[in-house]
Amino acid sequence: MKVLVYSSFTFSYLNRARVLFKTLRRFHPDWELVALITDEPPAGFAFDPANEDFDRVVWARDLGIPDFKSWLFKHDVVEVCTAVKGPFIHQVCEAGQADIAMYLDPDTALLGSLQPLIEMLQQDDILLTPHLIAYNIDRLAILDNDLSASRTGIFNLGFVAIRTSGEGARFARWWNDRLLEFCYDDMPAGLFVDQRWCDHVPALFDKVKVVRDPGYNVASWNLSTRKVAIGKDGAITVNGAPLRFWHFTKLGPTGDVMTKRYAGDNYPVYEIWRWYKDEVGQVTDKAIPERYWAYGAYDDGTPIAKPHRVLYRERGDLRAAFPDPFSTQGGGFKAWLAAEGLMADG
Amino acid sequence: MAAGAASDSVYRLVATALDTRFYRAIYDDVAEGRVDPVRHYVDAGWREGRDPAPWFSTRAYQEDHPDTEGLNPFHHYLQQGWREGRQARGSDRRGLWLVAAARAAEPLDWDFEPPAPVRAAPAASSGTTPDETLGFRHDVIAGLRPLAERVAAAQARSTRVAAGGLAQLEAAMTQRRASDGALHISVSHDDFTAHVGGVQLCLQREAAALAAQRVDHLHLHPATPWPTLRTADQLAPVGVLWNGQVVGVFPADVIAQALARARHRVGGGRRSFALHSLLGHSVDEVLAVLAAADLRRGHFWLHDFTSLCAGVHLLRDDVADCGAPPLGSPACGICVYGPGRAAHVEAHARLFAALDLIVAAPSQAAFDTWRAATPAPVGQTHVIHPHARLVASGSLPQPAGDGPLTVAFLGAPVGYKGWPVFRALAAARAGDPRYRFVHLASTPVRDAPSNIAHHPVTVTAEAPQAMREALVELGVDVAILWSLCRETFSFTAHEAATAGVAVLTGPDSGNIAAFVADGRFGRALAGEGELVALFESGRACDLARSVRKPAAYDLVLGALTVDLLGAR
Repeated sequence: MKVLVYSSFTFSYLNRARVLFKTLRRFHPDWELVALITDEPPAGFAFDPANEDFDRVVWARDLGIPDFKSWLFKHDVVEVCTAVKGPFIHQVCEAGQADIAMYLDPDTALLGSLQPLIEMLQQDDILLTPHLIAYNIDRLAILDNDLSASRTGIFNLGFVAIRTSGEGARFARWWNDRLLEFCYDDMPAGLFVDQRWCDHVPALFDKVKVVRDPGYNVASWNLSTRKVAIGKDGAITVNGAPLRFWHFTKLGPTGDVMTKRYAGDNYPVYEIWRWYKDEVGQVTDKAIPERYWAYGAYDDGTPIAKPHRVLYRERGDLRAAFPDPFSTQGGGFKAWLAAEGLMADG
Repeated sequence: MAAGAASDSVYRLVATALDTRFYRAIYDDVAEGRVDPVRHYVDAGWREGRDPAPWFSTRAYQEDHPDTEGLNPFHHYLQQGWREGRQARGSDRRGLWLVAAARAAEPLDWDFEPPAPVRAAPAASSGTTPDETLGFRHDVIAGLRPLAERVAAAQARSTRVAAGGLAQLEAAMTQRRASDGALHISVSHDDFTAHVGGVQLCLQREAAALAAQRVDHLHLHPATPWPTLRTADQLAPVGVLWNGQVVGVFPADVIAQALARARHRVGGGRRSFALHSLLGHSVDEVLAVLAAADLRRGHFWLHDFTSLCAGVHLLRDDVADCGAPPLGSPACGICVYGPGRAAHVEAHARLFAALDLIVAAPSQAAFDTWRAATPAPVGQTHVIHPHARLVASGSLPQPAGDGPLTVAFLGAPVGYKGWPVFRALAAARAGDPRYRFVHLASTPVRDAPSNIAHHPVTVTAEAPQAMREALVELGVDVAILWSLCRETFSFTAHEAATAGVAVLTGPDSGNIAAFVADGRFGRALAGEGELVALFESGRACDLARSVRKPAAYDLVLGALTVDLLGAR
């Protein structure tokens, strides 16, 4: 049974993705690992996929998305890295590249084998991990975690795994279609990139398995109801179940605050985070500027402000007038914004 | 890359002296990232070798004061270094700063003199700071340095040491005790005449017994401290003591050469060796030195578990006993010592294959731990030989029994010896008239809870019984010896027993838990929760001297390998 795992990221997340792929390689040396990159390598950084732990790179620009530059410009970095997940998994299904396709966020890492998921996919076609598998009672935890999940989506789409046939393939086609048009961070409109869409999955598709095993997708948002333990046999468990993968969301002070709030004195959590930070540190290439993104600026280097992306996606006339909105040659979208007095507020 | 957020207390003290204008001006990423420079320095900057002020070089302080390894250098200086007279050197970047500031026409202090350090402001809120709810283990983990970084620092330290030559070593070795060529070679992790500790005390005993037997004694130790074994490509000189005298530091091949040449000039006296710790040594070098002396059969001591892991105390991430799980286990995968474990196991497997070793364990507990995890052959010869034994010696003065239970912590207030557990227990029982808490050590802890009274005790060669005497004099009932790691032999537990003090210990303390297992000398509890409950309920008072009426003992110390070799 051929398994393909992919992760979607830009070069500023290459360090995290390297840790993910290294851990995937360690536990599953025979799985095909694919890096889906919506970016271009920064100047001064020699990117050689042959030296990476993934098997191949797929560039977002090669996914065949119509009017790619115009489509891309409508999204910020998080939105677009999420949006391309749909087209890629759909294409894997269409091309029959694998029996099972799995997505993992670049800031996840395996601490155990994912083989039980493959077994689950002998019965079911779609696996999703909820943000929460137990409700909170503490008021602050409800505000931070339960209500947050209500706003951003019941399932965390840092993980999804499907059979590439049957309901899995039907899901992939639907996800592709929706994400190409509606993958924005726009909560008032009922959108939080790809996640709110997947609230519909148990209703729209058969053979959906909600993975309620606490060893999967452990993250700051569910630590309030998960206790990590490390035994003298060397096993790491979460509420007694083997730890499989962790979601190291928000590496840095913000993530630390939420982790501490909910891990409290459950110190194995800090041991795991220490390890992760060290791993990421070891594979961080200083030639990649922090927060680098090739599509974050116009071609003259001016950073693109989010409101300009929103304006562009809302107005068909602008998209028709400026099919390559990044270009500043002979005017372009940027010059139009300036003429309209809209550049200053960026 | 941040290795974990520092505690609030570190932040507050560093904030009193970090020059934010300098930090932002010198480090573009800090300025651009709009991050708090103090937070940046305490969480990541110091590990990256960044300087907090023009008058302070982080790297220079680490180099000048290697004993501060693993600590935030600026915090160390502000908290205690300046009081101890330690010098800070200026930042290499102060020139850049001058230029940048001059361009910006900013007024400057051109002297770069360190300001008089100030004490950190107290926490804004009364009661517990948020970090205290995380437990002391959180702070320990946040302060861990990757093993590779520590090895690199050790390598850098060792390259600054100049090694001597063959003539110097041979000249020293002509000063002989033995007329028949009797020779003992010992190997450990440091110069036992210059450092204090359990293993060092053992080696002092062994050395004294060798002198009494007129056996020449060559002791080898790494010239500078190392956190792991050395590999063949990590070259470093070896420190040499000859008959207890410092000779100097030499490359291992020079030592081997000197031994090989001396071999032809000796008679038929007893020749032996003891490997006490190979930390900082290369197994290949040790094998070459022993081969040069024509030695194959010798003793291998289990003072710690260097033979099982680079984490020689089997203390995972310095916070919890790991139990030496299988190599490649998930726990080893995340542990700071994990990357060094395989090399330690492999090197010792080669050592055991090449030599005819008798494993000497100072306790059954130490042997059992080692036996369960070592790849050494199942039938490996071994002997259990405690470093000391108790001998009954009459009675102790009996207290009236109407005062509070006196509960003590003995020695340096370090985390893995359980000081945070003792401290938390005392803090939880503040104002409880049933208990009196005392700390017996050479220096007091500045921020200890006010209900822990410090009593100065310094054990020296001249006053070896100082701890025992203080325990008797203060009428200490209970000692909390909450070692987080498996003690191979606990002198402290034995010392407490000689003074009639009951020992309370945790489940992972190795020889301490075994020592109290039969109930005569104390109790091993299931965990910190049971300790707290014992004091909350008052059942701890059953351990009062007046209830137990303990017998007195003397501690008779052994002479380690010399005991095992017997008389000449």
